[in-house]
Amino acid sequence: MSSTNHVLLSPAELAYLHASLSLTPPIRPDGRAPTQFRPLVAETGILPGTNGSARICFADGTEAIVGVKAEVERTVVGPEGEGVIVEGGEGEVEEGGGEGEAGWVEMTVEIPGVRDDDSGTAFLAAMLSEGLLADEGFVRRLWINRRFHWKLYLDIILISPPLSYPLPLLSLTTHLALLSTRLPRLKSEGDEDPFFDDDWAAAPYLFPRPNGKSTTFVSQTRPPITLLVMAVGNNIIFDPSKEELAVADVALAVSVTAGSSSSQAPSKHVPMDTSTEGRNLRLLSIRTIDPPSRLTPPGVANAANSAYGANAGQKTTHEAQATAEGEAVEGVWRAPRGGAKRMVLGALVQKVLERGGVVDEVLDALEGVDLG
Amino acid sequence: MDRRRINGPAGATQPPVFDDVVSQGAKTVSGRSRMPDASRKMYLKTGVTPSASGSAYLEMETSAKPGASGLKLSCSVHGPRALPRSAPFSPHIVLSTHIKYAPFATKQRRGYLRDPSERDLGIHLEAALRGAIIADRWPKSGVDIIISIVEGDQDRETSKSQGEEAWDMMNALAGCITVAAAALADAGIDCVDTVAGGVAALVQDGGADSTPTIVVDPIPSDHAKILAACCIAYLPTRDEVTNLWFRGDLPASDMDLYTHLVEKGILASRNANCVLTNCLMETIE
Amino acid sequence: MPITILAPRPSRAANGPSDNASSSDSDSDSNGGADLDGDLPMTTTKPKPKTHPSKHTPSSFEIVTPGETITSDPQWMRGHGTYLPPSTTTIISSVAGTVTRTNKLLSVRPLRARYTPEVGDLIVGRIVEVQAKRWRVDVGSTQLAALPLSAINLPGGILRKRTETDELQIRSFFAEGDLLVAEVQQLFGDGGAVLHTRSLKYGKLRNGVFVAVSGVGGGGGVVRSRRQVWTMDVANGGGQVDVVLGVNGYVWISKHVETAAEAEKGATTTTGITNIEESVSATMYSSQNDRIEVETMREIARLRGVVTALVENGLRVDEDMVVRGYHEAVEMAMVSAEGSDDIYLGGERGQRLAAVLTGV
Repeated sequence: MSSTNHVLLSPAELAYLHASLSLTPPIRPDGRAPTQFRPLVAETGILPGTNGSARICFADGTEAIVGVKAEVERTVVGPEGEGVIVEGGEGEVEEGGGEGEAGWVEMTVEIPGVRDDDSGTAFLAAMLSEGLLADEGFVRRLWINRRFHWKLYLDIILISPPLSYPLPLLSLTTHLALLSTRLPRLKSEGDEDPFFDDDWAAAPYLFPRPNGKSTTFVSQTRPPITLLVMAVGNNIIFDPSKEELAVADVALAVSVTAGSSSSQAPSKHVPMDTSTEGRNLRLLSIRTIDPPSRLTPPGVANAANSAYGANAGQKTTHEAQATAEGEAVEGVWRAPRGGAKRMVLGALVQKVLERGGVVDEVLDALEGVDLG
Repeated sequence: MDRRRINGPAGATQPPVFDDVVSQGAKTVSGRSRMPDASRKMYLKTGVTPSASGSAYLEMETSAKPGASGLKLSCSVHGPRALPRSAPFSPHIVLSTHIKYAPFATKQRRGYLRDPSERDLGIHLEAALRGAIIADRWPKSGVDIIISIVEGDQDRETSKSQGEEAWDMMNALAGCITVAAAALADAGIDCVDTVAGGVAALVQDGGADSTPTIVVDPIPSDHAKILAACCIAYLPTRDEVTNLWFRGDLPASDMDLYTHLVEKGILASRNANCVLTNCLMETIE
Repeated sequence: MPITILAPRPSRAANGPSDNASSSDSDSDSNGGADLDGDLPMTTTKPKPKTHPSKHTPSSFEIVTPGETITSDPQWMRGHGTYLPPSTTTIISSVAGTVTRTNKLLSVRPLRARYTPEVGDLIVGRIVEVQAKRWRVDVGSTQLAALPLSAINLPGGILRKRTETDELQIRSFFAEGDLLVAEVQQLFGDGGAVLHTRSLKYGKLRNGVFVAVSGVGGGGGVVRSRRQVWTMDVANGGGQVDVVLGVNGYVWISKHVETAAEAEKGATTTTGITNIEESVSATMYSSQNDRIEVETMREIARLRGVVTALVENGLRVDEDMVVRGYHEAVEMAMVSAEGSDDIYLGGERGQRLAAVLTGV
């Protein structure tokens, strides 16, 4: 599913949308504030056959389901890895914290009506898994012992046809599914073949709750969320709908997570002051989304319109061409050309990462979802 | 794409594993021999495929070590040509990008069909080029941009875990953007500016406690740890970014670090752009 | 608050007994019992019974499912949505919906269906394809409608035969993506419609926003009514706004532009009818928007919000509901914390609006 598919809006509509979104404050077609998301209905734990699952539904009927399945897999050891095992008895790999590999997580995205090998879907899946894998601490959680690890399959299914670019919806659903994911409690020790506790109630969460028993030192890391932000004129708009994206000057997908930086050595792990306002946000990935606005049909100014006015049909098309290339006329849509200014890109990222800003509130709201 | 082709079993051939004398024991990092702001030398030539409307070939200097391969890219542009009758009307040129690693381009052999990472690269390239092309000059026509990565930028001596694929992909993408821009110019397709790609990375060379530094045009095997990297497609005369791809792990409180990284990425693409304009000038002369 | 995340509504009990136990329902939700219909009000709301003039049909609102026998009385004739097994007189429903009896014709109106064009319908459509002598228009129906080049007014009000020159510049009248308001002129046997815009009130749309809601049939959406197009005065200094409710469920809300004809009516100058037509049709194929004030844009967005809220809550969309809904929305915004500039009507606010409207 490419962001550029199926944009069919008339030049007059595009000009109107662009004008209303460029106002300060912008007037969005559905009346939302610039940072406001569409209201959504969310629930988790809907699929008993999975390790974790979630469903999110928009008011317009767009709906996504994510199921997380975990399997025990034998860790393939490379030729130089074997050397590590021989020498490993000296405890250079600390307990519970081996190195993870990107291949331990497999993510698939399915969108109805789109071919399996569609590039846009591959792009979406790559974007969602990129955020997940950029957080090195995440794959490390899947480590069981030196010979085995969990292989995590994340299957993201969009139930309804995509009415807008589905990235934020899929990302939020994945986030909730991962929050509700539990892995069976390990009973075996060391490097022996793992066996697990049958009691599902005792299974720990992949992302431990902060309000559990050990509140003091539990890591506050959360799965990443990927937000779609776009800029029109001087305005920064979150969670754009399809029409809004069609007039975007630039659109970015930004993956952010909250919690302690896992790239630091565990020895430097500083207990976080969770009481203070705002989380310790970390930027994981940014991608430019090709805005569909570049593919929109340009409007024709009245002055150049051969079907305009009483002198219709008298102007040559050559003249019309000349004016189409010329100066912008108010009220006439022109597809943006070129890229985005550095300042705009910087402002977009800054706005996302703002302390106590949108990301914080989204994470708060996601934490409020009952994890069944 | 040919879906009827019967492929050999995936992974049936084992790449040779050489006895790694250097990497016995602790991983040794060769270290970077260039200045932090210096890019590798680059060779670019247009018009290498006479049958295509436009073409270009790019080669990156191999690093100092023998046995380490640089990046070799070949790009051909077909078009602009009329869209098939069945295609819907388009007021703009229809851009399609294909990036394919040759099966022998990387350490791990690649299949003939494009895998998800190659499709992903294709979308990145499309985004980077679409901002540069003046698409409404060519209504009802299409152009195909086909890039084959003849040799990927991978060091044979590094272990699999060290040379993470994602960083290699960024280097490859930056090269793809530059070579595609050259081929587009060779094909005579109108562009607002010459777009070129560049990579910058935040690296940590001296263990976990050292201060990270930002380098331009990184080679993953040169560094002990890459914390973050970004690939940027940049239009120098317009001072605009058409594609930004960042990946890594940065604290959000430190926006300066991110801004510097982007600045260095732009610097890298400026460097590449110098080569690009020189090459185009040479071709005209 | 940039984001609102709601828990799914407890599933509505399908048949009576456990209806009042909704408070305990929230438990069962989290146990994996996915209630997939709890939050899609459009599909669960039963259509408002429409009053039928015929008196002898006490059971005219009965709901049938495909395969259900409606009657085996041979006096009835088979209409849409039914079928007759060979060599019987039993009429069996072929869709899920309500039974309608018109004289001796028995038909079933599906609960939800795509728009089926009828001659004389005012529709809003979008051009999807330009062919040599006609346009193909998306009207939300099963098939694309056709708009022949001969069925439009030429700019300048000239009445003449369409020439090859017109054919060559067909895209200067309507191009792909353009929105237009038109009337269904003729129907093909296969359900395809032919449109025309040969009236000054039809033509290309500009200066506004588009919103697609479901068409006729079903609980929500646009219903055929007396007036599909009207101009209304809006609050907060927004001036006048045109609303076009296409019977096919496509809605257009735009700034009202004083046409030359109306201006002429105001001023008592005597201009020939051809002159009026000429000046009116001057802007007919323009894709350039006029200058629109911020206040107008805000009220247009509010009206759009009202329409979406009506649909999301399964209410019909017609002039009465939209106008009443709009005034309610203005009042709601007055008392809200953000003041009258607050135009958001999604989620819970939309539900409140719908509750107010149905409560009257």
